Amino acid sequence: MRLPWSSKDSHRNDPYWDFFINTPPADLANTVTEMIRKAPEGNVFPAKTELHTPEITSSHVKGMAAYFGAELVGVVKLKQDVAESFPYAVICAVHADYDPRTSPGIGGQVPVQNGLFIAFVLSAWIREMGFRASTAADSNANKLAVAARLGTLDARGRLVTEKFGANVHIANIIRTDLPLAPDGQE
Amino acid sequence: MSKAEKLDQPKSGHSSDEFPTPYLGRSVKLVGGHVNVDMNQSPHPKNQRGELGKPLFNWYRNTVSKDPLTRVSAPNHFADRRHFLTNIINRSSDGKINPTKMAVEDPAAMARHIKAVALYMGADVVGIAKAHPSFLYAAGGGRYVQDGTAKDDFQSNTPEELARRFPFIIQATTAWDYNKLQAHRHQIGDAAYHVSQMKGVMVLKALEGYIKELGYTAIRGVVTPQAAGVAGGIGELGRNGLVINKNFGARIHMPDPILTDLPLVADEPVDIGVEDFCKICRKCANTCPTNSIPFGDKVVFNGIEKYKINWLTCYKLRPYVHEHWGSCLTCAAVCPFTKPNVWWHIMTVALLHGCPYFARPALVRFLKWIDDKFWGVVRNNRVTWLGYDSGVKPGEHACTVAGCNASHEKNSASAVSGNTGYYAPLKENTNRFVKRDA
Repeated sequence: MRLPWSSKDSHRNDPYWDFFINTPPADLANTVTEMIRKAPEGNVFPAKTELHTPEITSSHVKGMAAYFGAELVGVVKLKQDVAESFPYAVICAVHADYDPRTSPGIGGQVPVQNGLFIAFVLSAWIREMGFRASTAADSNANKLAVAARLGTLDARGRLVTEKFGANVHIANIIRTDLPLAPDGQE
Repeated sequence: MSKAEKLDQPKSGHSSDEFPTPYLGRSVKLVGGHVNVDMNQSPHPKNQRGELGKPLFNWYRNTVSKDPLTRVSAPNHFADRRHFLTNIINRSSDGKINPTKMAVEDPAAMARHIKAVALYMGADVVGIAKAHPSFLYAAGGGRYVQDGTAKDDFQSNTPEELARRFPFIIQATTAWDYNKLQAHRHQIGDAAYHVSQMKGVMVLKALEGYIKELGYTAIRGVVTPQAAGVAGGIGELGRNGLVINKNFGARIHMPDPILTDLPLVADEPVDIGVEDFCKICRKCANTCPTNSIPFGDKVVFNGIEKYKINWLTCYKLRPYVHEHWGSCLTCAAVCPFTKPNVWWHIMTVALLHGCPYFARPALVRFLKWIDDKFWGVVRNNRVTWLGYDSGVKPGEHACTVAGCNASHEKNSASAVSGNTGYYAPLKENTNRFVKRDA
């Protein structure tokens, strides 16, 4: 049980915690993040699942993402680009006690690992419903998260949310043609 | 045979000065003559070779689920294997052990650290057991990771050699969502089971990788999970053959543990009163759709004194219910220990733990009476989750979106009402399936 006033750094008596958070792995093959990143994308199921209105489908996608561990979820309507033509993007975010950009240890990358888990399973589920879904790291992620009303940008252009402040990690963006009700426009 | 004669017998195939017979708590006991389990003779490998008959073989290998979530989260029935994360993780080639070994001056601090790491990665329960040859799979049987492979340099070692060289077993596991589990024998219950299982596989793989990064060996597919769970203090073995934990009851997975040479301090088996409860309760035996759980006393099977479930009849039901669900979970859902992890549950288990042995039967009878009264003799609550609704009878079509009154061409059944969930198959339909043993 976690008490509300216990600080995030309840590991200060742990002599190995710094290694866990900050020392980059000697062999990347030991990390789950690398295994999921290298995983190929599967096929779209040939029969489309019957869907309700885009509003209900949206609530199901958000509920499923939350069940997989996403703490913030939003849907954005994308500007149509000609090559891929994915009309929507699902943006999931998880809290990050330590900034994954500056904590390369296996522990520092736990939010990334959780984000990859969510993006992998959620996009696979959308493909199994018979719709296209593709996930990839995106340099535009912070702006899309703001468009999805998850928070605002700080001076450095990073996402700041109401619930977690700047301690937040945006999972890989899922682009899809599943008909959804967007929270905002790119 | 008198009691004294029994005590004089050699304790176990592995009992020696080096490996004294391990104490496993009150719920399960090594009594002697144990032969290591050959993992090739466990249920899934037997079925994969087709030894359990055509219906089961086809159920396991040649069926595609009609539920999209099952197709991405269950260990079989997918349309595309690449959509199942466990496949990706368990089939990945193993990383190398870091040549720079982390010096461990205080094994107790390392044990605390490894537990903190497992919990930080998303595990719900962690236990460390002292390795004993009887916990390991038989030599020469290979390694066993469900939906995956494991290879290491120690494949030809005997259980004794392995236990000598790798003295600790780490078992970390995840719990199923309580509310969704109420819809056991339903796709909602499957979701609770399978998604947490995927998460648990990921956590254990990450922990395995981390131990290698610390410079130590981590071997998978070599330890019997239930033995590790009981010896590592995760819980006690119940009548239903499941490890019952003090916080989550029977709703925890027992995945493939890690055998390691990382210096640690082992946990002790726990006493949370499962032994006393299972003697009296029998709720799981009463509700099991296939009568696979015994009503009688413990038996000695392969040198281990425990309640022995009939895994074959349990397993055989699956092809016949494939349309409706994948994982039964009835015995886990109905177990009185399976409750939300909240203060009144923690207090009740603590009360049972603190109660002297002679007074426990009376306390258990009282607690079981409360459980029957307020939670029901059988679990048949209606559960709704996203597009799923267990109030729809198996085989019927109905719209499962709350509050929807649109007209659907195919789904012409009237709106679902009431608070009863329908979970196929009903007990009366399966009484013929196998005769009760007592």
